[in-house]
Amino acid sequence: MKEINSIYIIDDDHITVFGIKKMLKTIVKCNNIETFENGRLALDGLQERISAGISAPEVIFLDINMPIMDGWEFLDEFVTLDLKEKIIINVITSSIDPSDYQKWNDFRLKCWHYLNFRNKPIYKIEVTDLNRMNITSFT
Amino acid sequence: MKAIKKFPYPYLIKQLPQPTAFVDNDHILVSASDSWIHNFDAIQENSMGSEVYKLFASHSEFHFDDLKRCLKGDKTHKLRHKNIDNSEDVWYESIFTPWFDERENLLGTIIQTNNITQEAIKDAELKRMNTLLKAKSEVAKVGSWEYDIAQDKITWCDMTKRIHGVPKSYVPNVNEGIAFYKQGYSRNRISMLFHNLLEKGVPFSERLVIITHDGKERWVAAGGKAIKKDGKVVKLFGTFQDVNEHVVAENKTRESEQLLTTLIDNLPLNVFIKDKNSRKILVNKSECEYLGLKPKDLIGKTDFDLYDKDVAQISRDEDLEVMRTLKPMLGQETINVRKDGSITNFLTSKIPLLDMNGKVYGLIGMSMDITHMKQKEDQLRNLINVTAVQNKKLINFAHIVSHNLRSHTANFSMLLDFLIKERDGSERERIMKMLSYASDNLLETLENLNEVVDISTNINMDKKSMNLNESIIKVQQNLSAFLERNKVEFINSVPDDLTVPSVPAYLESIVLNLVTNAVKYRKTNAHPVISLTAKKQEDSVIFSISDNGLGIDLNRYGNKIFGMYKTFHNNKDARGLGLYIIKNQIEAMGGNITVNSEVGVGTTFNVYFNEENQ
Repeated sequence: MKEINSIYIIDDDHITVFGIKKMLKTIVKCNNIETFENGRLALDGLQERISAGISAPEVIFLDINMPIMDGWEFLDEFVTLDLKEKIIINVITSSIDPSDYQKWNDFRLKCWHYLNFRNKPIYKIEVTDLNRMNITSFT
Repeated sequence: MKAIKKFPYPYLIKQLPQPTAFVDNDHILVSASDSWIHNFDAIQENSMGSEVYKLFASHSEFHFDDLKRCLKGDKTHKLRHKNIDNSEDVWYESIFTPWFDERENLLGTIIQTNNITQEAIKDAELKRMNTLLKAKSEVAKVGSWEYDIAQDKITWCDMTKRIHGVPKSYVPNVNEGIAFYKQGYSRNRISMLFHNLLEKGVPFSERLVIITHDGKERWVAAGGKAIKKDGKVVKLFGTFQDVNEHVVAENKTRESEQLLTTLIDNLPLNVFIKDKNSRKILVNKSECEYLGLKPKDLIGKTDFDLYDKDVAQISRDEDLEVMRTLKPMLGQETINVRKDGSITNFLTSKIPLLDMNGKVYGLIGMSMDITHMKQKEDQLRNLINVTAVQNKKLINFAHIVSHNLRSHTANFSMLLDFLIKERDGSERERIMKMLSYASDNLLETLENLNEVVDISTNINMDKKSMNLNESIIKVQQNLSAFLERNKVEFINSVPDDLTVPSVPAYLESIVLNLVTNAVKYRKTNAHPVISLTAKKQEDSVIFSISDNGLGIDLNRYGNKIFGMYKTFHNNKDARGLGLYIIKNQIEAMGGNITVNSEVGVGTTFNVYFNEENQ
């Protein structure tokens, strides 16, 4: 089974968080899975982590629609962070608004990290979602 | 005959005052008075005994054969001849009479030669005048007539006869002359005029219709005048002119003029003609009505006299351009501002006006009032804008619905997938709990959406004049426990008598949401203070509600604050729905809502209730 140091789940929907965690259990071994209800809390946690000298999480599951700071706003700030590692970010949304897909694509092209796009519902997290490659499953 | 070579008493003849000469049968001049000799530039002694032809030789304008015939001595002859004296024509008439002796023997011819220069000139003049008169009469088709009362005889000249269509041999009389006039007005009129002329000498000149001999109707101008002698009318005369073509052409011109005037006057357009200086030289009825002036008050005026200065300058510039380029300006939208400030939209055309030589001397203008169309166009544009906004809202709402429902169904789908695969009993139970939770969430979402749909479909709900203060007090009472628990200082300075046009349920919803929001987003370290004010403006009432709460970063969230499911604070009660709903309610009533806020200071919401009923 694949081993990952740290995973962030940023989503205000408890059921989705529950689902992602459950699906991760079957394919990955990770002792550090952190969840945040919105982008702001996640950024705060990340900053704390960096200032404590701990490396950034390898994989992030990111929801779009969240209060206070949504997924796009989180990405806006996240891409400005000076991170050495390339992070795998899985954008997970129930939105089928083409403009959301367009936004994801814009980010993908301008950012250093790996960005995947997954539409809900998700039944299974593939190993590819945790590997460093750009994959989209826009259904 | 040779016996009378010597003429007795020559001194008597010599002294005759009448120029007289005696010529024998051999045409030899026997004797002559000095006056006769003088007429022939001859000298007495030399002339006697010579042939008379020699003397006539210096004269002209006669035939030699005629002179010979005159000297035959058979009867009295007349001969005209001319001499030139001091380079002036001198006319003579010689009368040749046979000369007999006491026994009736023909001795020769007595010639009397008189100077008739005056008569000759008069004759020539008369002849010339007659020719001229005839030519004039022919060209102008003016005939004449004369009536001799004593002889009851009417005479017509050739032209008069020709106009009547009768031959030159025709002999008219008064009754027949009158009968030529068309029955009815013309005949009655001429009868009366002729009678008045005859009885009282009243002259006339009238245009009437005759029926010619060959049955054609023709317009004639008949005139009459009387000649009086000792106050009594003795003779009538007058003119008779064919004016048919003239009258017909005149009538035609008048008809087309009438047609044109009727057309121009009744066009539903303002028509005007301007000269080179943009002065009006013709205006139609519509133009007069538009400006509220009579034609005579408009003629000669420029646009500067009639319209606002700026508008007049624009119009003058257009005029100059059209007259300079000779290119018509067609269907241009223009705006006129009358002196009283009233504005009219026109569709104006200006066409250069050229004289016979192709030189511009003004322009024709036509303006169609399109103010109503313009207003309709504006209304339509407004309607399109409103529709576009609503359409955008609808699309936005559709996305919200789709997203919200999708997120729930996605959860169901995922959880059910887990459930099918799960063998562990306690885990299955956990998934079931999650499913039940997801179901509750879905129901709540549906209720929220219902609430929004209600507003959007109840746009036509009746607005009533609501007392704002009463609604605030009612909300305050309903929330009394909530307000007390949070130690809220509630400052209501809304006037007691202020009313706002609103759907009753909406007004309470608006006040309730804004008040609870103000409390929800309070600072943790201070007691909430909420102040409510309202003031009436021109056609709206502004209701403001201010708090001393957390405030919100409008630079960041400004365009999202009224969005659905947008929350900006870590608050467990926040649904992200309240502001979205009241914004919809306010806009459904034709008003709007704005927000001012400063982080850490507080927030003010301004609600505008529009007086105008839509």
